[in-house]
Amino acid sequence: MPRAIRGVLIECEPAIKSILVHIDSNELKNDAIIEDLDDTRLVVKEQMVKTLKSRLNEKLKETYRPEQPLEDSD
Amino acid sequence: MASAVPSSFMLSEYLEKLPGATFRKLYQQPSTAFAIFRRMLPPLAKVYVQALLYMSTPFSVKDLNVWVRPEGETASKRAIGILRSLHIVQVGQPDKTRPQEIQLTANFKRSLRLALEGGGSHNSFGVPSTLPVDPQIDIAFLDVWAGRIWQDILYYVVNSVPIRTDNRAGSSGYSAHGGPRAAVRELLLMGGLVQRRDGGAVQISEHGFNFLLQEANAQVWTLLLLWLEAADRSRAAGQPGTNLDNVEMLSFLFMLASLELGHAYDTSALTETRRNMLPALADFGLIYIDPRNRDQYFPTRLATTLTSSSSALRSVSASLDAATKKTPGDAGSLGTNPAATDENGGIVVETNYRLYAYTSSPLQIAILNLFSRLNMRWPNMVSARLTRESVREAIADGITANQIISYLAAHAHPQMVRQAAAKGTPVLPPTVVDQIRLWQLESERMRTTPGFLFKDFDSLDEYVDMSKYAEEIGVLVWKNDRRRIFFVSKVEQLRDWLRARKKGV
Repeated sequence: MPRAIRGVLIECEPAIKSILVHIDSNELKNDAIIEDLDDTRLVVKEQMVKTLKSRLNEKLKETYRPEQPLEDSD
Repeated sequence: MASAVPSSFMLSEYLEKLPGATFRKLYQQPSTAFAIFRRMLPPLAKVYVQALLYMSTPFSVKDLNVWVRPEGETASKRAIGILRSLHIVQVGQPDKTRPQEIQLTANFKRSLRLALEGGGSHNSFGVPSTLPVDPQIDIAFLDVWAGRIWQDILYYVVNSVPIRTDNRAGSSGYSAHGGPRAAVRELLLMGGLVQRRDGGAVQISEHGFNFLLQEANAQVWTLLLLWLEAADRSRAAGQPGTNLDNVEMLSFLFMLASLELGHAYDTSALTETRRNMLPALADFGLIYIDPRNRDQYFPTRLATTLTSSSSALRSVSASLDAATKKTPGDAGSLGTNPAATDENGGIVVETNYRLYAYTSSPLQIAILNLFSRLNMRWPNMVSARLTRESVREAIADGITANQIISYLAAHAHPQMVRQAAAKGTPVLPPTVVDQIRLWQLESERMRTTPGFLFKDFDSLDEYVDMSKYAEEIGVLVWKNDRRRIFFVSKVEQLRDWLRARKKGV
């Protein structure tokens, strides 16, 4: 009998995927990822999607340069 | 939840979770069988139902497959899959003595025949009231009334002060309270469309955003499904065992959808459960009960179009829109309707990301506030600006770039529309449209699909057969033949398939 595991399929760029794998192994004790499918796909636990998303955004914020507000008279 | 889910999809999700016994009870009502047939089935599935309806004996699946061209096989399997998940057809297991057979389930068949032939004394399509009807209650009155109730609910969701206007509907005792009833507010809170903040005030949630940007008909279904689920839960907590109410509620909704707008119907012909539902339905604006004559109820346009096709939905919002326009001092305030093109709701979008909206409706201003920074407000106009942050926040709240763009395009100022038509250019400045999409790409780093991962197959055959079946019924999302794993969005039919296969071997 095959096994069916409930989860959420995540599709993203390879760079983002490697950040996710990093977060999973360093910060979440390998508790989020169920199966590493290929370069752009992962299956993760349903309840961990939110955590992963917010951690990813934190990581990306470090690389983000805030935009300069346009000078004008609104 | 994915954004902008069509209403019939949400309804089918709810229905698919129901057990077979519930379906058997539901299909005892001809109006239910008819509504499901009309609303929930794709054209091919309808053809199959029509073909099987008057067959006296089960039909062999092999003969049915003769009708299908090779290239249409997937579509055919999908149609039969839908029919099975709604418990409309039974497909037997093939064994040595008999070929595999397909037939309509007994209750559905009987009820749909009754609905088409008009026989029986089931009162399933409502009993018209024989009492005299107040001539004031005409279709226009019902439209105004339903439009106002629905608008109040939307106002509440965007968390703005309900506008009080003196119109005809106000004289029926409705204006005694501002905003929707406590029960409706509870429901919105429980369904997660609004959230309670620390101070006790409520705030719109992620689902609420999507709710606001849906079409009126989809909104009605969202609310009704929340209501059904709430009733399910309270019953599970209170007296378990009886599942009858669930069936009664659903079939009453389907019955309402088959009634005729502008006619009065007799409340005394209803069962007690259904009579108890009437006040709640009036709170939603689906029916109108004259306070002076409680023996009659009038379905409104929100109710009678529940099961009609999508083209009719647009006419709902259009007619609601027309209804609100007639209301003095409240013109164009039904801001979520894409059909609103009156001067009062005009939005001007400039290439420098500034917005000017000629409106005084708190609903429309609140919606603009969801995805732009408001700068100033004048008596008849607000100015705002689209920024990276404002759009990103909106996207984080579950609004999509396309929803923002289509909202702006649908509410564009007539002057913008006219100029664009004269020059042959798009209504919105392309730079702004592109930038909104880019902002979305920037913040959408991953695409998620909930579902099930299948792995650890016993043999290659098992993997190949099962992934092929998953593909045919349209649930396969991803597969890898080398590793023998695949991912599907739904599991119920595959589980049945596995069980059947196990028996067959």
